Amino acid sequence: MTLFTSKVCIVGDFAVGKTSIAERFVNNHFSESYLTTIGVKIDTKLIEVPDLGVSHKLVIWDIAGSDRFEHTEFAYLRGASGYIYVIDGTRTSTLRSAMSLEEQVTDRFGSAPSVVLLNKSDLAGDWDVNESSVKALHAHFGAVFKTSAKTGDAVERAFEKLARRILDNDMRAE
Amino acid sequence: MMQLPACVVHNLQDEYFSSERLFCFLIDENYALVQIWGDAQRWGLDDIPIGHDMRDAAVFLVGCVIGEPQALRFVRLSRHSVAHVHLIPDGRQSYVVLIDASDEHDPTQAKQQKTNELRLMHARQNRLIGRQRELISELIEIRSELDHHRQEAERSSANKSRFIAMMSHEFRTPLASIINYAQLAQEQDASRNDIQKSVETIERSARHLTSLVEALLDDASLSAGRLELVEEQFDCHNLFEDLARMMAPMAAEKGLSFATFVDSDVPKVIFADEVRFRQILINLLGNAVKFTQEGGVRLKVTYSSDRLVVTVSDTGPGISSEDQEKVFKAFERGSKRSETGAGLGLTITLRLVQLMGGEVSLDSQPDEGCTVSIYIPVNVQADPVAAEAPVLPVPDQDALASRPLSILICDDDDDMIALVEHYLHRSGYGLIATSDSSDAIAKTIKYDPDLVLMDCNVPGIGGVGAAKLLRQQGYEKPIVALTASRLNEEERRAFTRFFRKPAPMQELLVEIKRLTH
Ligand SMILES: Nc1nc2c(ncn2[C@@H]2O[C@H](COP(=O)(O)OP(=O)(O)O)[C@@H](O)[C@H]2O)c(=O)[nH]1
Ligand SMILES: [Mg+2]
Repeated sequence: MTLFTSKVCIVGDFAVGKTSIAERFVNNHFSESYLTTIGVKIDTKLIEVPDLGVSHKLVIWDIAGSDRFEHTEFAYLRGASGYIYVIDGTRTSTLRSAMSLEEQVTDRFGSAPSVVLLNKSDLAGDWDVNESSVKALHAHFGAVFKTSAKTGDAVERAFEKLARRILDNDMRAE
Repeated sequence: MMQLPACVVHNLQDEYFSSERLFCFLIDENYALVQIWGDAQRWGLDDIPIGHDMRDAAVFLVGCVIGEPQALRFVRLSRHSVAHVHLIPDGRQSYVVLIDASDEHDPTQAKQQKTNELRLMHARQNRLIGRQRELISELIEIRSELDHHRQEAERSSANKSRFIAMMSHEFRTPLASIINYAQLAQEQDASRNDIQKSVETIERSARHLTSLVEALLDDASLSAGRLELVEEQFDCHNLFEDLARMMAPMAAEKGLSFATFVDSDVPKVIFADEVRFRQILINLLGNAVKFTQEGGVRLKVTYSSDRLVVTVSDTGPGISSEDQEKVFKAFERGSKRSETGAGLGLTITLRLVQLMGGEVSLDSQPDEGCTVSIYIPVNVQADPVAAEAPVLPVPDQDALASRPLSILICDDDDDMIALVEHYLHRSGYGLIATSDSSDAIAKTIKYDPDLVLMDCNVPGIGGVGAAKLLRQQGYEKPIVALTASRLNEEERRAFTRFFRKPAPMQELLVEIKRLTH
């Protein structure tokens, strides 16, 4: 088994569920209470990719939420191999935030492997993002997942998709 | 940069180092550990041999570029430790400095938490306000709809009042003549001739009233979409002959010619609602005769592609295209009623044709007469036995009972009972009368009459219910409905035979005799 290590950044507006997504993926745990993240929280998780004979270690940077990156945040993003953009499906404004964050990232670092998470899919009754927006996201990102950190729905799949994109990207680069 | 005396710098440095618990290590361009300063254990970085790849233990180094200065604020490295991390390049190596930020973290966090929670609340509020706006605009819409309905209702109620005023006028004329002629007939010195003339006028007026009432009821049912067709097989050639017999004298009275042409292709027995069909034709022919002053009226019937084509043409004043449009528009709009009795009839006719799945075409120019064609799809009955069903002759002889028979009549109208009693007695029948349907059941069981004459709209369980119950109780003799109500097919099945009031007495008597002998 070859070991690959990649830095992955989770970005998005505040309270969309970035910390919860990471917590679900890394520790398979969820908490209802909201605790604002300050700075950045770093975690790691190893995923096996048997068909490529690879162990993939993801170093996950859960970055404090914002709708705009400043100097401090750009420092966190340096050297990332992939991005997870998180949107709160019950707040359309967070979709716009994700789009503009992605633009900033691409402007600064060029395009990189990424996936989009439409989070809080368990709150279907409060859903605020319409299907045409979802289609637009699909067209732009190619990989959109309706996730729930609460139920764990699609969380693992989303990370695996990103990991796969990173590997593809790295192998192409070699 | 400001230069401070060396002793001051050293002093401050000691102070800072001891309070901030600084930790530092040096790595080469391959992230291999070169040297460590400070409390490594505090950061879980103790026991690492020189030369080890530091990205293992200090994962934040993954992706970092050695040789570039970098500052990462508030990096949470474990549950209990937060640090500001500085990368300070020195040639091809880099110093990594960790400054404990735990103490600084908590107040910053608390402040940011408050801000974010406020923003979340604000967002939630905005959503609620948005939803509220939606609801309010929905409410406004509903209100304006209600307003619209209210205005409609007011308009329709005004229409109704106007209509009632008009109808009461139409009713008053025949009613007045009935009252006047009835008085005249009762006068002491009335001659036989006066009486005869009075009775004839009374009958004509009553018939006119009956047709008005029927038109009204039809209009009401049509408007409410409640009118049901009752389809049965009947001889349509008979119907056309009948109509000719009825219309020809009326035309002759006005000096008009009346011609009927029924194509030989027209099937004899068809399956349709005879009553409605008759009504449509009477209306068209009646109008034609009514409005034509000279010339004549012609009824032509042909048959093509499963449809009867009935054409009524006259040489009357014709209808301007404007008026034609009005008639059809009023019809299409489903307008409840037009302004005159005749108009009401025409609208009903058009609706009846539509109900029967047919179409109407109208061809007319002012002063050039009028041709109305209706196209009615009909089911052709091929059964020759049914087609040849004998039509009963109606000589008086046939009405007389040939042996003593008893008949039970149930009707809540005393005049009706008296009338039927008069005719039945004269024809030699014995009579049991009651005005209540439950009583009718009891009496039928008790006296076992040879036939039951039943009104449908009577106190108790009603005529239809009584007939059904009598059948259940084993009464097998004929039960004949004599009613002003229009029965649907299922209700009709409860009876042996069905007569609609006002029924021609002679026909009723013949049928009673046929059923009881
Ligand atoms: N129902 C539901 N709540 C969620 C989900 N993900 C996060 N949350 C809640 O949303 C709030 C913000 O989550 P957090 O992970 O702290 O958001 P962050 O600011 O993007 O890191 C917390 O109260 C979470 O419990 C989810 O998938 N479903
Ligand atoms: Mg967070």
